[in-house]
Amino acid sequence: MKTVVLLSDARNPVSGRAQLSRLEAQAIGLAAELDESPQGLHVGPGEEGVSAGLGHGLCGLDVIEAPEGEDPLPALAAFLATSLKSDEPPALVLCGRRGEGGLDTGLVPYLLAEALGLPILADAVALRPGEASDTLVVDQAMAKGARRRVTIRLPAIVTVHPLAPPPLPFAFGRMRRGEIRRHAADVSEVPVDVDAGERPHRARPKLMRTAGTASGGANLHVGPDPEEAARLILAYLEDNGIRRYGQG
Amino acid sequence: MSRPRRDPRAERDNRTVESRGRTRLDFGRRETLPVSGRMRRDPWREWAASLAGETDGERKRYDRSQRQMNRAEAVRFARARETLDATDISPGQPALRVIDEPAFLVFAVVETAGGRLSRFDRQVLGAARLLADAGDGGGAVVAVAPESVEGLGEAGADRLLHLPRAATQRGRTAALKAAVDRLAPRHVLLAEEGDGADCARRLSVALGEPLFANVEHLTARQAVRAIRNRGAEIGLAPPRLMTLGEDRAKPYEAVPCEAREIEGGPATAPADPAILSVEIVPGDPAKLSLSETDFVVSAGNGVSDFAAFRDLAAAMKGTPGASRVVCDAGLMPRTAQVGASGTVLAADCYLALGISGAPQHLQGIAGCEHVIAVNTDLHAAMIERAGLAIVQDAQLVMPALLKLLQERET
Ligand SMILES: Cc1cc2nc3c(=O)[nH]c(=O)nc-3n(C[C@H](O)[C@H](O)[C@H](O)COP(=O)(O)OP(=O)(O)OC[C@H]3O[C@@H](n4cnc5c(N)ncnc54)[C@H](O)[C@@H]3O)c2cc1C
Repeated sequence: MKTVVLLSDARNPVSGRAQLSRLEAQAIGLAAELDESPQGLHVGPGEEGVSAGLGHGLCGLDVIEAPEGEDPLPALAAFLATSLKSDEPPALVLCGRRGEGGLDTGLVPYLLAEALGLPILADAVALRPGEASDTLVVDQAMAKGARRRVTIRLPAIVTVHPLAPPPLPFAFGRMRRGEIRRHAADVSEVPVDVDAGERPHRARPKLMRTAGTASGGANLHVGPDPEEAARLILAYLEDNGIRRYGQG
Repeated sequence: MSRPRRDPRAERDNRTVESRGRTRLDFGRRETLPVSGRMRRDPWREWAASLAGETDGERKRYDRSQRQMNRAEAVRFARARETLDATDISPGQPALRVIDEPAFLVFAVVETAGGRLSRFDRQVLGAARLLADAGDGGGAVVAVAPESVEGLGEAGADRLLHLPRAATQRGRTAALKAAVDRLAPRHVLLAEEGDGADCARRLSVALGEPLFANVEHLTARQAVRAIRNRGAEIGLAPPRLMTLGEDRAKPYEAVPCEAREIEGGPATAPADPAILSVEIVPGDPAKLSLSETDFVVSAGNGVSDFAAFRDLAAAMKGTPGASRVVCDAGLMPRTAQVGASGTVLAADCYLALGISGAPQHLQGIAGCEHVIAVNTDLHAAMIERAGLAIVQDAQLVMPALLKLLQERET
């Protein structure tokens, strides 16, 4: 199935240079399992960082040249809308969770889904084609190692979770061989509204995860019968909602 | 300074109540604050609060030993005696915080996975409480949850809004949007994790409202989030739609709120036509990595029967862990080591069998909310750290636990 991976204009947090986001490299890995020639799509000033995606498994890359700081959404939506109407429409659009260098809200896939009228699923860790044609089985990562297996009708947009398999190894030759197609964007001159008051980031400490000794030592049992001890332990686990035993 | 004169007759009339055919005076009732403006102790109410029970309907039994009512009791008290308005039992120790007519609402959307509030859920409620009390205060926190769970009031929720548990995220968002449209909250707060993060973005698109995602620092006056791959940050007055980063806001800890249920949620959530089937595949605790799991069963130098220990970990549906001594001896794999030079856990619960609790080991379980220790040494550091401490031979407790679990299964 034809797959397009959206590549964002990610920036290295220290040097500020353009780079390929790791999550998008993982998305390319997932796409390569479904499509032997996955394609990339990037809107931005150039292909400096994203061309590494070709080395990680993309076969071609469409770069829509737009000035830096411009909202990529209209160009993305227009490009995908025309390719969805073409003879060989993409069945699946993969993206990362959020940008790494812009406003980083993670809204672009959702706005795109709205603009194109496609369904969207978040946090995929594994993808495989469904039994019926035009369907896809997506494993979504959930807390505590659980997975939600969703069958979705294509075409669709899917975002990738960091627990997805690691990216394919980088190959310089593949990057040189990959085809880069450049397109001009109709410049909309609508920059993303960078909120006033942007300032250098200050790392703030997270809350300590210290546990209150809620029971205050009252819960001390010296030398109970082993059976009694076992009962106490299970009762404690069930009272605090950690596990339920004996209910399957 | 002139004070208004007291009118004893009017006061007396004011306090007269009819009860069992006799006129009585209720000295417990106070309409206005005393002139000094300071709250006064109210012995009547204190006595009423410490009423432990009535034998034969005439002899009253009081429990005056616990002057400080703990929170759970205060809530119980408030529920049991509805006739007593439970705002103040005694100055400084209110029993239940009631906001009758909120000036505005703050939505806190909680996941309540597994039917209980997670630590992150409490943080979201705490942040919502902060916003509701911002400025002049008077706002009410509405916990938006698929079911009623214990401890919502203690976590700071004034109201509870039921949202049906939808099969798909799209259905859930539609239901949430309907509630937002109806009740028009001032802020909507979600957790920047999993389904909460997904739902926030869908809601942002549906409402056409910007999302302030992954807030790192939240006060009543400003919310701060990182941009440009954590190279810069922006701070605004708290906007309407926000998601909170994990461990970024304190859970609420003061007087419990009432968590009264309100109407306003739609009865059913619409389905998503593009989603054909949904199935939950539970995680296998034995295969999870230590940093991902929620319950660790761990063995130390006090455990000698490791076959029984592995069986126990599997039967308890926990991930096996070990102390360094055990890993050094090659009895457990190195990946199972808990502690400063092993894995630092993010689990909710830790069961330590025969572990002394060396500082390097305790560092690894600093984030665990519940710790259970089984140790023969009453003075072990692990016994001190534990929420449930059992001074007994681990070799005897393990088979007893296994036996009990087998009995439960059948
Ligand atoms: C630089 C450094 C880093 C370290 N990092 C780590 C680390 O990451 N993780 C780690 O775990 N350790 C670490 N250690 C080692 C740590 O200091 C302790 O030596 C180790 O944690 C002790 O393990 P233990 O509690 O299993 O053994 P012990 O200290 O021997 O304790 C055994 C306990 O079991 C009890 N016991 C004995 N028999 C029984 C029985 N039959 N039933 C019940 N209880 C019984 C005893 O009362 C005792 O309390 C580190 C040490 C150093 C110097």
